[in-house]
Amino acid sequence: MLSPYVASVAAMTPFATAEARIDPPLLADELATLRGYLDFHRDTLRWKTAGLDQQQLATPHPPSTMTLGGIMKHLALVEDHWFSVILLGNEQAEQWRDVDWEGDPDWEWRTAADDTPEQQLALFDEACAASDRCLEQAVAADTGLATPSVKESRRDKSAFSVRWILVHMIEEYARHNGHADLIREAVDGQTGE
Amino acid sequence: MERTERPLRADEATSLRAFLDYHRDTFRMKCSGLTQEQLAQPLAPSDMTLGGMMKHLAIVDQSWFEDDFLSRGFMPPFDTVDWDADPDWEWRTAKDDTPEQLLALFDEAVRRSDAVLDEALAADGVGLDGLSLEKAPDGRGRFSLRWILLHMIEEYARHNGHADLIRESIDGQTGQ
Repeated sequence: MLSPYVASVAAMTPFATAEARIDPPLLADELATLRGYLDFHRDTLRWKTAGLDQQQLATPHPPSTMTLGGIMKHLALVEDHWFSVILLGNEQAEQWRDVDWEGDPDWEWRTAADDTPEQQLALFDEACAASDRCLEQAVAADTGLATPSVKESRRDKSAFSVRWILVHMIEEYARHNGHADLIREAVDGQTGE
Repeated sequence: MERTERPLRADEATSLRAFLDYHRDTFRMKCSGLTQEQLAQPLAPSDMTLGGMMKHLAIVDQSWFEDDFLSRGFMPPFDTVDWDADPDWEWRTAKDDTPEQLLALFDEAVRRSDAVLDEALAADGVGLDGLSLEKAPDGRGRFSLRWILLHMIEEYARHNGHADLIRESIDGQTGQ
């Protein structure tokens, strides 16, 4: 009774336009629906950051200090954190490992300005592809979306379900895409959902 | 105010409802403690306002659950608006409403939507695979309740992103 929707695994393909995004399936099982929404928001961020130069990606919309490049680098870090470090208990990916996070907690936001648009997109695409591999490994267990994370929440002393991590990533992306909407409009006037 | 907790290991329906409530609460926090004038203040060049967003999310929330899902139509005052002539009515007219009126409208919309969810997700309800009575206008078919719930979460979260920047520009308040 469920449509045989196959979640798009298009992480290495930059979707630079609004129209090229794949709408989440209207009737699919839980995993396909969640992955459809996550990919839609990853592609929305790719679109919101596409066609801008390094300086535009480093332009904030005051009084906020957030930038489009910072959002992209932040979400690359967030992808690694949730799908690899928390879900599977891995070490941070190599590019984040040597950062002094205690001394420089906003490192990814601050240093995005030094990266070219191509570097920023490559880092982001790589993070999304790595997350998809982690996710596929985790949901292969009999417990599916109820599979618990290897690392626990420090506050709640409980593991996270894969389900929680996926829904959290969707809300995380959607919120930052809301920031991206207003920043992009301020940078060059481009709008759109 | 206390925001709804998002349980770390709950079933699908409980999880989705908790994330939706968390974002509704976040939105209430982003709009709280402001005057009618502040709620009507945009962050240029965007023309969105927090008051407009509150009225927009009221109709969006209510209409997905009561109208699209159950085909019961829009709640007042949205049911008598000439949407063809005035498609941004809710954004445009929010500045004429007091903060109390906007919040009451928003709370009423949420109450109606929650009643639909309570019924659909009860033991003898249609569940998350249940399909909307209204079809998508672009011919893609009917919406599952699962799709609608996730769409509402992303819709609120995206608008909360807008609200973050607008609120910061009004009085400096930030926070997740």
